[in-house]
Amino acid sequence: MDSRASVFDVEAAAERLRGKPGALLGLLEEIQDSDPARYLSEENLKRAAAALAVPPSQVWSVATFYGFFNLQPQGRRTITVCRGTACHTRGSLGLLKDAASLLGCEGYDPNSEGAFTTADREYTIRTVACFGQCALAPVVMIDDEIYSRMTPGRLVAVLSGAKKRGAKKAAHVPRRRYEGEAAPSVEGARR
Amino acid sequence: MSDTITLSVDGRPVAVSPGSTILEACAASGVKVPTLCHLSEVCSNASCGICVVEVEGARGLVRSCAQQAREGMKVTTASARVLESRRTVVELLLASHPEDCLSCLRLGSCELNQVAEQVGVRKRAYPPVRAPRKLDAISAAIVRDNDKCILCGRCVEVCSEVQGVSAIDYAGRGLGSRVATFGDRSLADSVCVSCGQCTVVCPTGALTERDETDEVLALLRDPDKVVIVETAPAIRASLGEALGMDPGALVTGRMAAALRRLGFARVFDTQFAADLTIMEEGNELLARIAGKAKGKLPMLTSCSPGWISFVETFYPELLPHVSSCKSPQQMFGAVAKSWWAEKEGIDPEKLVVVSIMPCTAKKAEAKRPEMRDAWLWWKGKGRAAEPFQDVDYALSTRELARMIRRVGLDFARLPEESFDDPLGASTGAATIFAATGGVMEAAVRTAYELVTGEALPGIELKAVRGFQGLKSATLALAGKELTVGVAHTLKNARAVLDGIAAGTSPYTFVEIMTCPGGCVGGGGQPVLPDWDKRLARAEAIYHEDRKLHFRKSHENPAVAALYKDFLGEPLGHLSHELLHTEYKRKEVR
Repeated sequence: MDSRASVFDVEAAAERLRGKPGALLGLLEEIQDSDPARYLSEENLKRAAAALAVPPSQVWSVATFYGFFNLQPQGRRTITVCRGTACHTRGSLGLLKDAASLLGCEGYDPNSEGAFTTADREYTIRTVACFGQCALAPVVMIDDEIYSRMTPGRLVAVLSGAKKRGAKKAAHVPRRRYEGEAAPSVEGARR
Repeated sequence: MSDTITLSVDGRPVAVSPGSTILEACAASGVKVPTLCHLSEVCSNASCGICVVEVEGARGLVRSCAQQAREGMKVTTASARVLESRRTVVELLLASHPEDCLSCLRLGSCELNQVAEQVGVRKRAYPPVRAPRKLDAISAAIVRDNDKCILCGRCVEVCSEVQGVSAIDYAGRGLGSRVATFGDRSLADSVCVSCGQCTVVCPTGALTERDETDEVLALLRDPDKVVIVETAPAIRASLGEALGMDPGALVTGRMAAALRRLGFARVFDTQFAADLTIMEEGNELLARIAGKAKGKLPMLTSCSPGWISFVETFYPELLPHVSSCKSPQQMFGAVAKSWWAEKEGIDPEKLVVVSIMPCTAKKAEAKRPEMRDAWLWWKGKGRAAEPFQDVDYALSTRELARMIRRVGLDFARLPEESFDDPLGASTGAATIFAATGGVMEAAVRTAYELVTGEALPGIELKAVRGFQGLKSATLALAGKELTVGVAHTLKNARAVLDGIAAGTSPYTFVEIMTCPGGCVGGGGQPVLPDWDKRLARAEAIYHEDRKLHFRKSHENPAVAALYKDFLGEPLGHLSHELLHTEYKRKEVR
């Protein structure tokens, strides 16, 4: 069931970008952002190739190289767990496993670099090599909101809240502050 | 400004022309630096890291294939550090490479194997890290085993830069890096035209022809079958090379002897069908010029099946320009399984036609569903039978060499034998089909005489010989100026097609060959070609032409007999049934 509200005009976007450096990257980004399932369908990749007169194999090369290009339809909500060194030492693998089991991602391999989407396309779970917020490890992103110093308990609370509220955005769940600690500025910041 | 620069390689001075790489300077000084990705004329993307040398003053080791030699440079090619580094790089490449060398098609011609030996690999130093990949063995022509791929990038380069096809590119990153088609599909479901140029540049067994030697050997041992063979013009100039002789060794007679000893019931020659092609195509051209045939001008040749796939895939709107003549391979099959089988009283269902081709695309061509006109012909005579193809198996030069080795023939010591009659008779015009420009020259030798009633002065059309990408010649024919063109490699073909599409093409007739140098540089030929080897093969072909008594297709007595006995006249009814075909737009999903 893929009800597209509007079909993105690949050719018009290509016309606008043609000749500019990184035209292909820009076009793929625009296509993905405009897609209701936030991914690059093969059909759209072919249209991009034709519109920019680039061989389809080269478009495939670019689309498979960059981790932020999705080649599968994405869940309505995306949980991204940082697997950088700092986050890892502070338990991000456990967070990833907890999130996967809580959201019903059966068959997901937490050691794989790939993304996993639940069968009902409600959630996509994925990892990132590093958010660059190592001082606030471990870091988890839910949709566009970044949660720092995540704990298993808080993750469960956030995700359960998100699940209950369905379409609504997860409410910010405050965490226990360390003594003398300033409120982190990243919390809830837009990506 | 000096026209040479001098540098020192291992303490010895060497002079090279400016712009030379360090690798070339080392070669000039007698040092063969090992490489796996570099291939002169094809690619130098410095991906493998094996060609490293030390350069005084440079911070790290330098990749000699990518760095230019400079005046006064001091290069050390075999320091302890260099030798250790090269070995480590090869050991890392081997970490994820399968250990099944003994059952690999490239055993004996594998560059990875040779380089591993050269750099002194003596153990499996690292455990495998890459997940196994899926074997792509769906294409009729090419088998792709990405487990054996070392990501050198030669295939990617040759597919885009030489052929302009770009069926494959790098995909993914890190350990997931791979050479892939769009959507990671099989080559069979991509824009691949089966030209096989990737199979001749691949340093390992990652890209090979689909080997069908077992199937053919089994048929040769089947008492219920009559297995006959046709050999393409180019094979006589490359089979020797595939069996260890020098490039350009001309082995026509020994090849016939070997095929007979392999058990083929008749040893025929695709050159017979090449002469037949000239009769049909030459007349088709004259009919198109006179406005008496459908099909547009400029007319484009149709002998090269990679090119046919290319135009069907990328320029379907220009298909009316392509000659309706089947390729010689397919004309041969159709005639052998109809006229010859009937004449000999051989049950066409028991007749097996094997072709030896310098080509991988010929495998795909033989399997095209419409290529069973002999079956239709028999059906028209009331003989209901299971459908059969006109040509059953198309084997590459490499596969024939493999079969000859398998049965233990000492090729160099075989006697010189001849082809069998009648389908083994041919002319020099057919021989030169093997080199770029040859079909054009053969066509002109005949057409000129058909139109003017006089022989082409000097018989040889030198303007269309040689390895220039696009060649042309202007002929005065019956008071008309006629410009003909010749292109080899699909990138050059693209230029011709773009000219036609734009309405600026000056040509009346264009020969197009898929591979560099024409069939002598085909995708089924001995691996790792360069222009010197292709030139040696082409020279052997022109030498053979000069030796022959008949050098014009219309002089072939067996072809004349075929028309008299059976076909009637060129472009006649039977010709259309058996020797001509139609093309269609190829959709790639």
